[in-house]
Amino acid sequence: MKRNFLSISVAGAVMALSSLTVLSAGSVASASTLTSVKFVYDFPGPDMELIPVVVAAREGFFKKNGLKVSVEFPPSTSSTTQLLTTGSGDIGFITTSDMAVAVEAKAPILSVANYSMTNNWGLFAKPGSMLTLASLKGKKIFSWGDTWTNAMIPFVLKKAHLKASDVTIVTGANDTPLLMNGTIDFTTSTTNYSIPGITEATKSAPVGIVGSAAGVPNVPVWVYAVTHSYANQHGKNVKRFLAAIKAATIWASAHRAKAVADFIAAYPKSGYSKFYSTKGWDLTVPLLTNKAGKYFVQTNAQWTTLATALKGINLIKSIPAPSTYYTNKFIP
Amino acid sequence: MSNSTLLVLRGVSKTFGTTTALSPMDLEIERGSFVSIVGPSGCGKSTLFNVLSGLLRPDGGTITLEGKDVIGATGHVGYMLQKDLLVPWRTVLGNITLGARLKGKVTPENREQATGFAEKYGLGEFLNHYPSALSGGMRQRVALMRTLATNHQLLLLDEPFGALDAQTRFEMQQWLLQVWRDTERTVLFITHDVDEAVFLSDRVLVMSPRPGRVVDDLRVDLPRPRTLDTLVSPAFTELKARVLHQLHRERAV
Amino acid sequence: MTKKKLLVNIFGPILSVVVLISIWQSIVTWGHVASYIAPKPFDAVRSVTSNWSTLAPLTWWTIKETVYGYLAGALLGAFLGVILSKIPLMQRVLYPLLILTQAIPIIALAPPLVMILGFGVMPKVVIVAWIVFFPVTVSVLDGLNHVDKDLLTLAKVFGANPLRRFVVLEMPAAVTQLFSGLKIGATYAVTGAIIGELAASSGSSLALYQRSASGSLDAAGVYGTTLIMTAIGIVWFLLVVGVEFLATPWQRRSTARRWRRGAKPVLPNN
Repeated sequence: MKRNFLSISVAGAVMALSSLTVLSAGSVASASTLTSVKFVYDFPGPDMELIPVVVAAREGFFKKNGLKVSVEFPPSTSSTTQLLTTGSGDIGFITTSDMAVAVEAKAPILSVANYSMTNNWGLFAKPGSMLTLASLKGKKIFSWGDTWTNAMIPFVLKKAHLKASDVTIVTGANDTPLLMNGTIDFTTSTTNYSIPGITEATKSAPVGIVGSAAGVPNVPVWVYAVTHSYANQHGKNVKRFLAAIKAATIWASAHRAKAVADFIAAYPKSGYSKFYSTKGWDLTVPLLTNKAGKYFVQTNAQWTTLATALKGINLIKSIPAPSTYYTNKFIP
Repeated sequence: MSNSTLLVLRGVSKTFGTTTALSPMDLEIERGSFVSIVGPSGCGKSTLFNVLSGLLRPDGGTITLEGKDVIGATGHVGYMLQKDLLVPWRTVLGNITLGARLKGKVTPENREQATGFAEKYGLGEFLNHYPSALSGGMRQRVALMRTLATNHQLLLLDEPFGALDAQTRFEMQQWLLQVWRDTERTVLFITHDVDEAVFLSDRVLVMSPRPGRVVDDLRVDLPRPRTLDTLVSPAFTELKARVLHQLHRERAV
Repeated sequence: MTKKKLLVNIFGPILSVVVLISIWQSIVTWGHVASYIAPKPFDAVRSVTSNWSTLAPLTWWTIKETVYGYLAGALLGAFLGVILSKIPLMQRVLYPLLILTQAIPIIALAPPLVMILGFGVMPKVVIVAWIVFFPVTVSVLDGLNHVDKDLLTLAKVFGANPLRRFVVLEMPAAVTQLFSGLKIGATYAVTGAIIGELAASSGSSLALYQRSASGSLDAAGVYGTTLIMTAIGIVWFLLVVGVEFLATPWQRRSTARRWRRGAKPVLPNN
């Protein structure tokens, strides 16, 4: 999924500061009439999945929708939901598993739009390695320590008919070096992160088992979320935010090189190369629309599937009605 | 040299830079005698003790203890200071046997001897006490027993009662004389207190600085055992006067 | 200790903890704090007890990391303290370097250690030792440098060679100071283990369990693991204090315990 965890978390504060220059580029004239919105990412540092937000800021889509958006990075992979509930963030970028556990814990979080539409998460290995479910036994598998990975791994083990004790989960901050030097046998990630990363390191595409082949439920990975109170009091902001993101995403999908250039200009010290961000964004674009070509739209089915699956591995105890999780009413 | 001579110094001198701490000195100490050394600071008495104990090498001369040359060699004399220097983490028994511990092991014989000292001199109940539980006078007694337990014939005592109050000091002086009688050791005793010097000793050496040397050597023929009456007797006063005059004459110069 | 002193010294702290817990409970209950932000104290404890089968091995690992790292750090610290005391050149050269090691934030230290030592127990042990050794070195150095010089001179006159003087007089004199350093190290040792676990773990660990609970908004779980970590630190500290009590009786007692005595005491009225 993501890499350079700790090194970026240290630079996270710098990122937050430099992000203010992003919005200043687009808000010269009518600064006083723009509404402020705090956007919180799901990872301590920026990466190419942030391109819609970056482009929306730099190419004026936020301004056009009357918004001034600051981008914040949480201190760890598990903090975004807390930042929302304590009011330190207005709109958050979280995984659907974060949503599920938040609702279980009775945190007042609501998903307002899908980011991606399918589950492109799986296990990956160096090119040329053997990677089958049968070959997992006794191996060392990397984990980022976040909720999503913790939620997905039991599905994999279930499909492979393995117990938790049959594998060793190694939790760390950065998977590619460990994969390269053999400290771990397999890493866990989504295709749009893993393929650029391993291709960059080995000049060749990784082998992987993804999605239902890995035994994981086919549900979207990431969503945009707000608290119930923010949705009730500032629904207009949410609407405008999503409108800006949609326009920015369409633009960024049509002008890929420029979009990546915008990202690099906004976050020159992100730790990702132009190659990585370009390839990553290329792999992300197809994930953002559903079969009907629509952005953001969520379904009852996706949430029910997720809740049922998570209950099946005892991550949550009860399956609430799907409407508890989401609303599509802010989608443009 | 007769059999009763324990310690012989011939031409022993020590200079520190331009200061002559000890000008060449000859001295003979009889076995079993009690000899006091009085003198102002800088007269060389501490240097003399340091040389005798082996801590310092003299610039010249010979030192013979029981016929053996002991220049620069430690471990031949008992030594005691004004500070009791009792080791806080060892009991009274442990402190008395410290000498043995410092050279190797503490044997059952060492312990027996230590217990014997303590019991004989009224500290038998305190063998397993830590020094912090003892009074100043008791601690000095333990320090003396520690010195005795090293089983050296010659004991160097450097103002051991200087820190005690007058009452305790007198008791300790009586006690020291009793111990000296019982153990038949030879004592060299440094003090500022002229009364103490004359009261305790067979012989008083008066020293003077610049350069450090012995300027008077008195025999104290007062009868033993010495009591309170001795302190006020005319003979005592005469000796005391002589020592005082020596001390002050030197200072006037 | 007198009965009254005992009551005050033991029940005093217990009472203050009880009061604190009551305040905590009141704030959460009557302040209507959401359960995913802060749990009631008993919920935190219940989270520990009901998940004990998962938490027990993790706790055991953290304890091992803490104890091994502490012992390694204490030994290293004492050794360095002696070296620095006895060899002035070493002191001038090494002391600034040692201070430098403590200036490095432990959190920044963890990733490089993991790169070198891997994901197992070793990096955690090294981090704990890193934290513990310095206060021990300083206290041993201090203790050795402040031995009464006249006592050492006396020992020389008694004919003791430098090694004997060191073993019989200097080492025991430094022991009192040593425990100051050991106690300081004990309070920080667990932190080192947790930082190491956060940087990298093979399998699960207390720190990862807590992070997982945090991500699941399981506040009771988060607070519960904090309680476990705190308990480990407290117990270890008390153990060190206990050893100090046994090792330095002369600071509190007037007589030696039975098993330390070398002679039968002579009682009065014989």
